[in-house]
Amino acid sequence: MKSKQIKIVLRNCGQIDPENIFDYIERDGYSALGKCLSSGDRKAVVEVIKKSGLRGRGGGGFPTGKKWEMVSNYQSDKKYVICNADEGDPGAFMDRSVLEGDPHSVLEAMAICGFAIGADEGYIYIRAEYPLAIKRLKIAMAQAQEAGLLGDNILGTGFNFNIGLKYGAGAFVCGEETALIKSMEGKRGEPVMKPPYPAESGYMRKPTNVNNVETFANITEIINKGADWFSSIGTEGSKGTKVFALAGKVNNVGLVEVPMGTTLRELIYEIGGGIVNNKKFKAAQTGGPSGGCLTINHLDTPIDYESLKQAGSMMGSGGMIVMDEDDCMVAVAQFYLDFTVEESCGKCVPCREGNKVLYQILNKITHGHGEMEDLTKLKNFSEVIKSASLCGLGQTSPNPVLSTLANFYDEYHEHVVDKKCRAKHCRALIQYKIIENNCVGCGACKRVCPAEAVYGELKQKHLIDQEKCIKCGACIKKCRFNAIIIE
Amino acid sequence: MELIKSFDELKKITSGLKNKAEKDEKSKIIIKIAMATCSIASGSKAVLDIFNEEMKKQPLESVIKSTGCMGLCHSEPTVQVTKPGSEPVVFGHVDPKRAKLIIEEYIKNGRLIDGVIEVN
Amino acid sequence: MSCCEKEKEIKDKVIEICGEFNNDPNDLIAILHKAQNHFGFLPKEVQSAIAEVIKVPQSKIYGVVSFYSYFTMIPKGKHPISICMGTACYVKGAEKILKEFEKKLDIKNGQTTADGKFSMNTLRCIGACGLAPVVMIGERVYGNLKADEVEKIIKEY
Repeated sequence: MKSKQIKIVLRNCGQIDPENIFDYIERDGYSALGKCLSSGDRKAVVEVIKKSGLRGRGGGGFPTGKKWEMVSNYQSDKKYVICNADEGDPGAFMDRSVLEGDPHSVLEAMAICGFAIGADEGYIYIRAEYPLAIKRLKIAMAQAQEAGLLGDNILGTGFNFNIGLKYGAGAFVCGEETALIKSMEGKRGEPVMKPPYPAESGYMRKPTNVNNVETFANITEIINKGADWFSSIGTEGSKGTKVFALAGKVNNVGLVEVPMGTTLRELIYEIGGGIVNNKKFKAAQTGGPSGGCLTINHLDTPIDYESLKQAGSMMGSGGMIVMDEDDCMVAVAQFYLDFTVEESCGKCVPCREGNKVLYQILNKITHGHGEMEDLTKLKNFSEVIKSASLCGLGQTSPNPVLSTLANFYDEYHEHVVDKKCRAKHCRALIQYKIIENNCVGCGACKRVCPAEAVYGELKQKHLIDQEKCIKCGACIKKCRFNAIIIE
Repeated sequence: MELIKSFDELKKITSGLKNKAEKDEKSKIIIKIAMATCSIASGSKAVLDIFNEEMKKQPLESVIKSTGCMGLCHSEPTVQVTKPGSEPVVFGHVDPKRAKLIIEEYIKNGRLIDGVIEVN
Repeated sequence: MSCCEKEKEIKDKVIEICGEFNNDPNDLIAILHKAQNHFGFLPKEVQSAIAEVIKVPQSKIYGVVSFYSYFTMIPKGKHPISICMGTACYVKGAEKILKEFEKKLDIKNGQTTADGKFSMNTLRCIGACGLAPVVMIGERVYGNLKADEVEKIIKEY
């Protein structure tokens, strides 16, 4: 089968030893930097990136070349390049894999960026939860420094570029660029109003270019192979490839890199190997806590920035969680809100208080106390939070709610009106029942029940007392006669 | 490590490395073992040890590399074996026992075993 | 060791750690990481020593410590358990794993066992989603975990 994947970002991952710089050099490592420095033409480098059509891969999708141009146009005694390696989206591990497998590709790209925009200093802001990536980056930085490919007078050209590491400490909001910068300055990661954008006033109030790991990992190939080559891949508005972290109920869980415009069906069924245990596909969550669901109606949607937005979701960083018929979409929305409430920095009221309200309503619904007006409240609150929050976290946190409400309204309705959870997930809305015809009265379920909720004599039909049952599922695991079901 | 003093020098080094890699591909068995977080959590360190140990005992020359993620988290630990003149073959769910089998069956005798991953 | 001696020991170590970063307040997060690695947690005494050395108000240090979930003012266990509750792990049953750990260790999420051996926290995505559900004990990653394997893993320590 011809490969559906095109490996640009992941070209070296799994092929080179990331702790040996010569493996990277053998694959034309640092030749793009050498090319740029030899030309001496900063503007030309910016033009190539602009022409390529590369857009930010962290989730925002802002044109990278345009960002570089903006920073390069500001006059300042000092500028900075920052690589956002805070990869906080649950379910996303693209950046971790690049940093563990091909750290030099990021270092080289940062140096190229520094040259293009007029910066001599860069930082990688990396989350503390990635110890192996940190270790490999440190080794790569030391080796590059020793070889004169980073640091002062790179390749004898007089260009200096030094890279340092800064660590996150478990705050999702620090993936937002202004919060990230605050964190780099040793402060609480609280976002600030934009404008001014970091391009004008960022780290230490200097013009700063912030790009995601995956964005940087595209740069050297664009320089080496040309903007036309890159823009020949992908769709009209979304050039190049995207790395997706396929996770959840799909057989081939892992990292894939496909041209923009690949359909969801191809991703899930051809590359992903289909749904585990041949269950029914229900939804694919993209964009993490800022995104929404794609359903069976979207299976043939070509995936790119615009089409995902139109479908009520977003590209996000590339995490794609596949869900099947056993996943409750109301519970999924609640899960995301639980995350958002925890991770909200607390600075602005719409996000801090609004998301708590959303969570409480969802919790009410999944525990069987929902009312019809709750569904209206969910929609209204969501819209207010989106329009009034200070930063991207709050502005997108209601997306999972709005998306699941729009695509799975029936499920919400069932939870509220029928007090039923069709996925049999929400404990308050399910019952464990014994099928009379199948029960032989062996007593296995009775013995294993921690709540003494099963009663019946040996060789007689058993019954479950719903008042006592804690829905732990121990009985259903024990029964060898398929006599217990969840309703 | 020597300081690389110019772009020309870098190009020379790159060219030299490519020649060596080409030569190696023609005469040596290239074994790549994924050592990313998922791989290590699945036991790839023990697999690397086996290959390092066992391939020393073989008459065939080999290059053993630890690499990053191959993207095949569903089948970690993964090992890619490229014999001279053949396409790379990726084996999944490799443990020390399977590692020895790969060496015995595929590397020494050219017989494919179960658990080959079709990379698409 | 007397109270003053202990304070001096803390101060000396803090001076050493901050010195590695040239006492730069911009590197507060890296300083706090190092301090927590050494002391096991970040009690008031350590925070106040850092405040003095890098010349940042103690309230600001506290503000940073309380903001980031990595930093703790409560001693961690000898073997810190981090249960990933990212989406991929959630979808693959991480809640059941959490409940099982809570049951077997008789502590709730965020607590430390009475003997100081284990502490438990939930983490939001370790990035090993290919192995969901995932738990980390120290720096060791356990993947594809099933609830009935929890007891065996605890016994390894």
